[in-house]
Parts: sequence; C-alpha cells; structure tokens
Amino acid sequence: MFGYLLASLAEIVRPAYLLPLSIGTLAGMIGGSLPGVTITMTIILVLPFTFALDPLQGLAAMTGVYVGGSAGGLVTACLLGIPGTPSAIATTFDGFPMARKGEPGRAVWLGTWASVFGGLLGAAFLIGATGPLAAFALEFGPWEYFSLFIFALSMVAGLTEASLLKGLLSGAIGLIVTVIGSDPIMAVPRLTLGTEFLRSGFQFLPVLIGIFAFAQIMTDLERMGGNVAPPRVEAPSLAVSHLSVIREILSRPFLLLWSTLIGVWIGVLPAIGGSAANVMAYDQAKKFSKRPEKFGTGIPEGVIASESSNNANVGGSLVTIMAFGIPGDAVTAVMLGAMIIHGIQPGPLFISQEPRVAYGIFAAYLVAHPVMLVLQWLGARFYLRVVQVPKSVLIPVVLVLCTVGAYALNNIIENVYVLLIFGVLGYLLVKFRFPLAPLILGVILGDQIEVNLVRALMTDADPWLFLTRPLSGGMLLASVASVGLALWQHRRQQRMGAAAQAGAPDTDF
Amino acid sequence: MISRDGIAGLVCLVASLGLLALTRGMPKPALVPIGPAFYPRILFVVTAVLSLALVVTDLARRRRPAVPPVRYRLVLLAFVIFGAYVFLLPWLGYRVATFLFVAGLQTALEWPRLRWARGLSVALATTLVTYYVFEVYLSVLLPRGRLTGF
Repeated sequence: MFGYLLASLAEIVRPAYLLPLSIGTLAGMIGGSLPGVTITMTIILVLPFTFALDPLQGLAAMTGVYVGGSAGGLVTACLLGIPGTPSAIATTFDGFPMARKGEPGRAVWLGTWASVFGGLLGAAFLIGATGPLAAFALEFGPWEYFSLFIFALSMVAGLTEASLLKGLLSGAIGLIVTVIGSDPIMAVPRLTLGTEFLRSGFQFLPVLIGIFAFAQIMTDLERMGGNVAPPRVEAPSLAVSHLSVIREILSRPFLLLWSTLIGVWIGVLPAIGGSAANVMAYDQAKKFSKRPEKFGTGIPEGVIASESSNNANVGGSLVTIMAFGIPGDAVTAVMLGAMIIHGIQPGPLFISQEPRVAYGIFAAYLVAHPVMLVLQWLGARFYLRVVQVPKSVLIPVVLVLCTVGAYALNNIIENVYVLLIFGVLGYLLVKFRFPLAPLILGVILGDQIEVNLVRALMTDADPWLFLTRPLSGGMLLASVASVGLALWQHRRQQRMGAAAQAGAPDTDF
Repeated sequence: MISRDGIAGLVCLVASLGLLALTRGMPKPALVPIGPAFYPRILFVVTAVLSLALVVTDLARRRRPAVPPVRYRLVLLAFVIFGAYVFLLPWLGYRVATFLFVAGLQTALEWPRLRWARGLSVALATTLVTYYVFEVYLSVLLPRGRLTGF
C-alpha cells in the first residue's frame, strides 16, 4: 500500500498533475468564496475543462476543487460573516466575531490550518479504510448491492429538511430519468417517444448541470429583483504568526481529533454532507468545552472545530465513493459523476483494478492541502474581492459555461436541449420545495439499482432472498428504519411547531 | 383547498400513471423471465403511490404554510433569453449566439442602469475565452451557425 502511495505521490507532484490539481484547488477556493456558488456548482463548472485530460489529471483537478471549495468558504465566513459555502456556516459563528475584534488574520489562518490538519487526518482515514472496506464490499452479490443502493437512497431522501414524501418522490423522479432509453439487459428502447437521441438515455452531466445550476441561479435571480450593487469590501491585513496559530490548534488535540472524527464519520454516512459536519462539530465542541458561554464571541475552538470537520468530511465521503461506489450527498454525487465521465467506475473493484488512479486520488487529496495552504497565503485578500463581482455579470458567464459543459460532453446540441429541460424541471422542483439531492442520487444509482435487481432475480427468482440474505436483509431493514425514523422526526418537529418555514431558501439543494 | 404540495403530487401521479400506461407496449422477452417493462412498472407504481400519499397528506393538512411573495420577472426573463440562446445556437453559431446572449442577459439584469462598455467587454471576453479554451485547447468543435457559417 505505502509503495503505491509513494509512487502516486511522486507522480502527482509532477507538473502534468500538479498544475491541474492547483488550478482545480484555486477554482474551488474562488467558488467557495462566492456566496451562492456551492462546491457542487464549482465542480460542475470545472468538470468540462477536464474532459481532454487523462483520467488521473482530471480527477486530480476535481479533488482539488473539492478540497479547495471546502476551505474557500472560510475567508468570506470570517471576514464578511457570509459563509461562501454551507460547509462554512459554523465558521462564521466565531470566525466573524474574531475578525471584528481586530484579529482577521488569526481567524482566517486558524481556519486554514485547521482545514489542513483536519484534511490530512481525513486523508489518513481515507487511505487506511478504503482498501478494507472495498474488500468487505467484494463479498456483495447483486442482492446486497441492490439493498445498499436502496439504503443510500432512503437515507438521503429521509434526512432532507423538506417532507419525507417529497424526498422519496424526488429520488423516484431521479430513478425515472434513468429508465428512459435502452434497457440495460436487452437494450430494448423504453419511453423514447420514437426519437433516436433518447435511445441512449439522458446523459448524466446535462441533467446534473440543468438541475443544480438553474435551481441555484434562478433562486438567486428571485432575490435580486433588480440591479443590486455588490458590497464594497476593504481587504484587511491578514498578517499573522503562523507558528502561534499552529501551536494554538495543536494545543487542543482532543478538539482537533474529535472534530475530525465527526467530519469523517458524517462523510462516510450516506445522506449527510459537509454542511451538517461543521455545525455538528461546532455543537460538540461547545458541549465538551469548559467555557461554552464564550462560543459565538470569537474563540478559536469554534473555528477549529468547524474547519477541521468540514475538510475531514471530504476524506470520509471519498471513502464511501471509492469503496462502495455510492455518493453520500449532492457534492459527492457530482464527484462520482466526474469519475464515471472520466471512465472510472468506483466500487469494490476500483482499488484493485485501477490502483494507479485510486492511489493517485489519495495522493491528490494529500497534496491538495499544502497547495490550498499556499494559495490561501497568496490570494486570501483576492478571494475577498471576488464577492464584488456583480451577479448580473456572473450569471450569464456561468450559464455559458453550463451550456458549453453540456455540449462538450458529446459535441451534440441535443445535450443543450436536455440542459434547458432539466433546468426548468430543477427550478420547478425547488419552487415546490422538493429536495434535489435524492433526485441526483436516483439519477446516478438508477441504472445500478435496475441491473442488480434484474441480475439477482435472474440468478434466483426467489424475491425473499433480498430479505433472507443477512447483509441484504440488514440493509433493507436499515432502509425501513431510516424512513421510519425520518417520519418520526418530521412528526415530532411538526408537533413542536418547528416545521420548516415555507419559502425559506434551501441552502444546500 | 389544495396547495403547492397537492398540485405537485397530482402532477406526479398523472405523469407516473401515464408512463405506466406507456409500458404496456413494451415487448415481452421470449428467452428470459424479466423483460424491459419489469423495473419501470415497479418504479411507476411506487411513484404513483408516493404521489397519491402527497396529495392525501396535503388535503388532510389543516394549517397551510404561507407562501411568501416572490419576484418572478427576472426568472422568467432569464429563462426566455436562455431559451432563445439555445434555439439560436445552431442557427447563429456559438460565437455570435454567445456574444448576444451574454450581452442580452446582462442588459436585462442591469436594466435600467446599464453599463454598456462593461457589458460588451464581458460578452466579448466570455465568448473569446470560452471559444479558445474549448475549441483550440480542448478540441471541442463548438456549434457553427447554419445562417452565418461562422
């Protein structure tokens, strides 16, 4: 394992790989800095630029975006009190008060170094756990895979903030998208309305771009309501003693380790993403603290907990993708899609069949952190200025990139039509308060769910095997339990009068 | 009175039943027990049941959440302009259509406080940069216009 890792590290630091990784990290940090542009959106926008690269170059760039995006949100969170991404929400609680007390550099660099430490600890977990988990997943037959995918889908649908029914329906709509086109067993055209284009089904990328990009952009436009001038931002000095910041973090080893563990664990679990990890780690840090009343006033513990957990979360999410081939949330769904577009099929066989790419991703994840550190040092003040780009300039440019991204996948205009259709659908779903993460998970897992269901039934027609095989039955039981738990939680929330407010923006789609 | 949830449920119900009806025409395989309609039928039935449950839940709900007023003018305008862009792409070609789209959407979003110089330069820069990155560097053959040949 370490031999492969060292060889991959040596490969990744070569300019051919380091350059796309650095550009990806920079793009992630810029995207992460922009309020309203999530990591998901940044990955979608960068993906088309990687089509011409070899798979490892492309995936190094995407890994950079993921890592950079997770850290990028902290600059605006600390200095403006606006989290650039949902995964930096808890960073604002103490980072912003700290900056307002005259310590902007300390706030930003505490967050940055905590991101690095959290991310590197997450990387240790990623490298150590992926192989054994993938070996465990090799024991799976089609029954277990089917049940695992259903479990992932039910978790994501059940844990959305909107109603459980809408979460499940959203997942079902995603699955319906995948049955259009030739069936995966006999290649018989289904629901194609006689069109040649639909015979191969909808391509993943235009569907994804349409749903996410339009849902976000159009929701932003609703709030614009005219030409709103962006805030004037004065970039403060971020000079700080890095040694003292590092000492400040390392003098709290329990906080760092516990927050990292929370981040990794939430990353591994399907359905919960970085936006939950940072808030949960912050909450835990407050509960374990000897001075909980100081949280929210600008203390370092709050920043360290939030930032170490959200970057460790990336490592945990990558484990689930690489070992099982299932994404945990919208961001990892897009990462999985990016891997598939680059010809990689993540899953239990991935690490043994494609060790170069698998260990290359590990290496890229490791190297992305020091790269992020350097880019933060060079450009933190610049990222702050990025928020000054008016939406009226940003939105047309983003839409052009979406169009080119959809078109460039196969060089066909029909993909742009698909983009528009799913853009309208995505916006309508948001307006009707349907969560989008289950839908996209349905689109990604749909084919695999069908293939494994049919394969299982063709191997043995007895449908009870899904329940009587221990692992499969256990996962189906867990699916039912997760839906039951979600139902109970929704009921309890309704009783307590704390149901989600209608019209409130869905921050993480 | 039915609310947004109920309407969404009804639309999904009608769509899933319609799609279920379409599976009737799918061929039955002679050699294998499971045909192409097997999985979609399960899926459409599940979707129909979930949709029906959404409608029933909505009708049974006593308190309805208030829907805040939303400004749809810019959203509608953006969709229309983007729709026109998508329609015109094969006729005008990538370069002309993209320039017009970026300039047009910026004008719509900034109206009435227009900044012509910035708008035109952003439109030109977006067109040229994306064209060169994708067409020249990434070897993506971007659409040529049937009318312009450009």
